[in-house]
Amino acid sequence: MANGYTGQILRLDLTKQTTSIIETKNYEEWGGGNGIGTAIFWDLCRDKAIPGTDPRNVLCLMTSPLAGTAAPSTGRTEIVGIGLQAYPFDWFTRSNLAGRFGAMLKAAGWDGMVIEGRANALCWVKIVNDNVTFEDAKNLKGLDCWETQMDIWSGVSGNRRFGEWLPLEKGYTTQRPAVLCIGRPGENMSRVAAIVHDAGDASGQCGFGGVWGAKNLKAIAVLGTGSVEVADPNALMETRLWMKSRIKPVNAGPAVNPTFRAAGCVGCATPCRQRSATNNDSQCIETYWYASRSGIDRFPAPQAKRATDLVQRHGVNAVEAMGAHQYLRALHQMGVLGAGKAIESAPLAMESYGSLGFAEEYLRAISSREGIGADLAEGAMRAAAKWGRLDEDLDSGILNFPQWGYFYHLGIPGVEWSFGSLVTDRDVNEHTFQKTFGWLSTDKSLRERYPAEKFADLMAEKLVTFEGDPFMMDFGEGPTGIYSTHKAKLIAWDRHYGRFWKQSALYCDRSQLYPSWIENQRTTEGLTPEVEPRLYNAVTGKNLSFADGMTIGRRILNLTRAIWALQGRHRDQEQFANFMYKTGAAYGGCGTTKTRITVVNPAPTGGVYPVHERGAWRYDGLKEMVLNRAGVEAFKTHYYTVEEWDPATGRPRRSTLEKLGLRHVADDLGAQGKLGAEAPPTAA
Amino acid sequence: MSARNEPTEPVSRRKFLTTASVVAGGAAAAGAVPFAATGTDVPAQIPLSQTPAGCRDLLPSEGYLVVDSKKCAGCATCMLACSMVHEGRASLALSRIQIVQTAMLPYPYDLEVYQCRQCVDPLCVRECPAGAMYVDAANGNVRRINAQECIGCKNCLQACPRIPRRTVYNHEKDHSGKCDLCVDTPYWKHVGGPKGTQACVLACTMDALKVVHDVPDQTETAAYEVNLR
Repeated sequence: MANGYTGQILRLDLTKQTTSIIETKNYEEWGGGNGIGTAIFWDLCRDKAIPGTDPRNVLCLMTSPLAGTAAPSTGRTEIVGIGLQAYPFDWFTRSNLAGRFGAMLKAAGWDGMVIEGRANALCWVKIVNDNVTFEDAKNLKGLDCWETQMDIWSGVSGNRRFGEWLPLEKGYTTQRPAVLCIGRPGENMSRVAAIVHDAGDASGQCGFGGVWGAKNLKAIAVLGTGSVEVADPNALMETRLWMKSRIKPVNAGPAVNPTFRAAGCVGCATPCRQRSATNNDSQCIETYWYASRSGIDRFPAPQAKRATDLVQRHGVNAVEAMGAHQYLRALHQMGVLGAGKAIESAPLAMESYGSLGFAEEYLRAISSREGIGADLAEGAMRAAAKWGRLDEDLDSGILNFPQWGYFYHLGIPGVEWSFGSLVTDRDVNEHTFQKTFGWLSTDKSLRERYPAEKFADLMAEKLVTFEGDPFMMDFGEGPTGIYSTHKAKLIAWDRHYGRFWKQSALYCDRSQLYPSWIENQRTTEGLTPEVEPRLYNAVTGKNLSFADGMTIGRRILNLTRAIWALQGRHRDQEQFANFMYKTGAAYGGCGTTKTRITVVNPAPTGGVYPVHERGAWRYDGLKEMVLNRAGVEAFKTHYYTVEEWDPATGRPRRSTLEKLGLRHVADDLGAQGKLGAEAPPTAA
Repeated sequence: MSARNEPTEPVSRRKFLTTASVVAGGAAAAGAVPFAATGTDVPAQIPLSQTPAGCRDLLPSEGYLVVDSKKCAGCATCMLACSMVHEGRASLALSRIQIVQTAMLPYPYDLEVYQCRQCVDPLCVRECPAGAMYVDAANGNVRRINAQECIGCKNCLQACPRIPRRTVYNHEKDHSGKCDLCVDTPYWKHVGGPKGTQACVLACTMDALKVVHDVPDQTETAAYEVNLR
């Protein structure tokens, strides 16, 4: 059937070194990506409360039906399973990466893969169309992520000339194998190890690289010559051209700078990466994790690019790497960390902090778990706990990790980010609204075209399944603001959209296409909620509406919430660090240059936010916003209520799960005493 | 131009398959087989004397796909669009334009674009023993393959002087394919050809592709590389 799916999911048993097939049609109702992966995890991981390093942990790597087609910016691969990075619990979690892998996996005939067990010795998996083999990785052990890939390329492709046709059993290809791999951090089961693809596409957050290390899995290489059938090729092409007429690429590449090209993942319409002399394929935080923007004074840009390549080659979560080195610097400045200090810094010479040599030594220490690197390989939160400084440093904020052990990305006053992170399991890292608030802050003409009230009304139309409530856009602290049920509805909308459209249909967050609000790439009106189903249906032929997708997203979120309930989740655990309730937390995330100790740029960047106060709307930068605990607890209660979960525990109710077709999930939770209490009957 | 005898009739698919096994042993003598790999049979090359194209003068194409590879983002949208409109399915392997990249190499050496050059002297057309490859006078002399006539001998692939060969072998349907400037796109409702639109050109995110009508220098490898910035 021409619907974007290949029809089969590869199931790998690393313990037995065997393969089998799961038919995709059994899970198609979940869409793809996160939805299918979470549903398979539910079915195959019997004990969901195990640590992430347990061989019974099930990792699912899933594409979407749109991957490998001409649907713009839909080629990511989602990874779900029990991760290692979160603190203090190994939550079931998610990450994703892009590049060439998803399209190549589909070309090889697979919608995704499931990884179970643990190999006896380090191995890698070679997938050439439907031929799957387990290979000995002893010659790859210790290699960094680039070396590993280049070694595998030459092994799979032979000594043919770059670009020459390679004959396979079925067909020919000019392409290199698409490889996912880990470096030494992963091999050493670091909680902050990444899975890296090509030069800089990575699943960085969540510690899945360490899970691969625990499974003795070094790499997966895919090469395929197959096709992806779509329901309506003409409609898909016309939709693509329609989108192109309404957007501009984010990255003009050599049109503005002759030293680099814009680089895009397969099928991308807004290439966000670049290729130059260094830091190829990296973007965002990866490019400034060790640079002036991360609080290092006077760090030359070329060295920052070298540091980017280093973090990718090693295979370390760049966001964590940034947060941890800032923390080390703060402790050093306080006199508690260094050579011979209360916290021994060897092999790191803190006096060389800010040099490229320090960055090299820092990453090498984490990779090899040497000296202080052994603590940092467990993540900065666990390092701080080991050093006896966790509470103190989360109180002051020099340990700038607001929730779940993830470095502060964004979150105040953009509370849809921080609140969304709080009620899930990690840094949500979805720029659904932040990109628009950023544009509003820098583009006066945009604010004039869309004054705050008009913007709020427009959003009230577009936020389908919660439409009709402009106060969802109120970021003030009044009765309709961030602690109200209106904000709870916005977070629910954001999580439902995220779970389906971004994480299951795999519409790329970084593309800035999805969702598309008032102005996409500064050209014209936004395309949401039209574009999402239009693309999806051109490929799948399923006639899904935007609202249908949101309902599936809600269903996936409930399934995830059930997994967390089985892992022991309770609303009392969903707490921000103390510093988030103090002056200075606003704009204190890694997207700014403001640090706890040294304010490099005292004028914080960020956005402007709609605020409703005393009957009138305005835009406000909210630079002095300070959260209050009672307000956050009130928000949580509103949020659980909106999601129809038990507000006392945050756990899903049987009635909610059954309404979503998840009776079997409710039964499992009930058997383990993890269901939320039903709502009391309302008075007649 | 070498002297060749005009054959009395094109080589039919039946005749090809009957004789292929006889001449297979001469494959090595006929010249290097670029697709040699263990476990892959490659039909023998038909001797040039038996090709129907002979020495006929062929009119140059009225359209040439050129690229600014420095603008190319390596997103392979052109590849997916090409296969979609021609085959109705998205496939990197069936695309008639190929982007090859090595992410770790520094720009601009990290990526190359390989498109059919609509050669003034199309060796692929000349070497086709079945008459399947031809110059389409009704569509601006675009060099095309008639898939129904193609016997799958792969002469056209071997004849292409470029690396990688610009003709593509469709292993799903056992025939060759090549860039036809979107003359024949059964899955797309646009008019192609030198005066029409091409899926790769329209779909390209970076507008790195263009069809020109002046003949690029046929002796210069880089003649199809242009500045579109």
